Amino acid sequence: MAVSKEELYQKMSDAIVDMDEDLVAELSNEAVAQGLDAFEAIDKGLTPGMERAGQLFEEEEYFVPELLMCADAMNVGIDILKPHIKSDDTKVKRKAIIGVIEGDTHDIGKNLVKLMLETGGFDVIDVGRDIPAAEFVEKAKSEGAELICISTLMTTTMDAMADVITILEEQGIRDKFKVVVGGGPISQGFATKIGADGYSRNAAEAVRLAHKLFEE
Amino acid sequence: MSDTISPKERLARKLGGKTSDRPPVICPGGMMNAAIVDVMNATGHTLPDAHHSKELMTELAEDVSRMTGFENFGIPFCMTVEAEVLGSEINYGTLECEPKIQKEKFATAADVVFPEMKAFDDNKRIQAIADTIHALSKKHPDTPVIGSLTGPISTAGSIIDPMTFLKQLRKDKENSHKVIDYVTDCLIHYAGLMAESGVDVISIADPTATGEILGPKMFDEYAVFYLNKLVDAIHKMGKPAIVHICGKMEAVKLSVAQLRSDALSVDAFVSLRDIKNLFPHINTMGNLSTIMLEFEDAEKVKKGTRVLLKNNIDIIAPACGLSTSTPIANINAFTETVKSPQ
Repeated sequence: MAVSKEELYQKMSDAIVDMDEDLVAELSNEAVAQGLDAFEAIDKGLTPGMERAGQLFEEEEYFVPELLMCADAMNVGIDILKPHIKSDDTKVKRKAIIGVIEGDTHDIGKNLVKLMLETGGFDVIDVGRDIPAAEFVEKAKSEGAELICISTLMTTTMDAMADVITILEEQGIRDKFKVVVGGGPISQGFATKIGADGYSRNAAEAVRLAHKLFEE
Repeated sequence: MSDTISPKERLARKLGGKTSDRPPVICPGGMMNAAIVDVMNATGHTLPDAHHSKELMTELAEDVSRMTGFENFGIPFCMTVEAEVLGSEINYGTLECEPKIQKEKFATAADVVFPEMKAFDDNKRIQAIADTIHALSKKHPDTPVIGSLTGPISTAGSIIDPMTFLKQLRKDKENSHKVIDYVTDCLIHYAGLMAESGVDVISIADPTATGEILGPKMFDEYAVFYLNKLVDAIHKMGKPAIVHICGKMEAVKLSVAQLRSDALSVDAFVSLRDIKNLFPHINTMGNLSTIMLEFEDAEKVKKGTRVLLKNNIDIIAPACGLSTSTPIANINAFTETVKSPQ
């Protein structure tokens, strides 16, 4: 007996919170078999599960390993459902560039922000780690991104974050982008000082910040 | 006021839980490297070359101690040596920028190949570090030489892709334990080379092993267990050990108290006064904000230092890794305030 689609979406969400890749795969396949709308299955099944995982992370019930495993489970579901999305369902998402500034190769935090931003509906382009300031700007321009997210874990590299903003100003395009910064040594005070549009302490907060920056 | 005891004896007394005329002010090297740009530009003994040559490493360690006022030598100047020996690709950085792991050697814990311990004896940088420890301890009998290690969890996360590694701590416990146990044995071997060369203290920083990243269960299962294995082995060599734990500590306070190190060094936002009150047996170390040291003026630094002195922190040190662009004037204000508080 087939369950209602609401029940199925709830089970998908639960399976992500439980980090159960196999169950997410089974449920996603079931959604396809039932002929459910794939976009809706992602939007109402997978995404809420990942949002709940983000919430648990913020409440310190989940830590980095758990959050990463939830994301793996979500991605299993997305891989199954995505090919079934009707092309007119794909609304245009805002683009964001994310990377770790030059001098630093620690990217755990950046990867967490990336996956939460994707869950939050952004099209995120990951430029990687140890990336020069100029490359952030070039990539944001060529990709048509509206949001630039810069991360570092090392105090040594904080100044290079300010360089991104200086380059944008020099090129007269500062107002075309929102720039947000984060990472271990960064504070709201530092973000304000270098003229960034925002700072967030963790990945879940970064999504709220990004949404807030683009509110009309 | 002239000091009555040597810096070496003062640090040894503090690590042994004994009284002293005043707290030492130190910077152990490794993650807490004090080879700042101001020092290197003044002397011409520069990184990244000094990561490789025993002569330069010795000279730079001497420059740092003399010019900053930190009452120790702290080497090496990075936390990539262990991962280099175990096969990861290292970028040695520049004068301003510390070395980093360019690419981890293995994709998963199950892939890790365990080389012989001899790989450590044969590594050129390890040899330069051992020779430098030997030279410094012979030439400066009154100043403690601190050898810095990258902790077991961080070293494992420097040879395996860290995102995979963190998941495997849950998903593949068997291989995770196998790798971290092996890495710990490597660190014990490396600490043994330092001890034979005459090191006074071993300092362990394990920035991946934080309560914030791992959560309390895995912090206990992996971080506390293997850090204690390492510390116990260092004690058997007759040397004291310092452990630095990064990040917020609320989630893992009770676990941290189980560490058997001779001093506990913490980040700037952890209250060492609370730690002292909760766990009187712990020798506290830290924790002047490195952001303050880099961006505030000397007066603010002095004020911050006096708060640490007032709280009777056992060993005064920066709270975390110093930025290489920290002004020397701020570091001098820091160390001088500890030495003569008025």
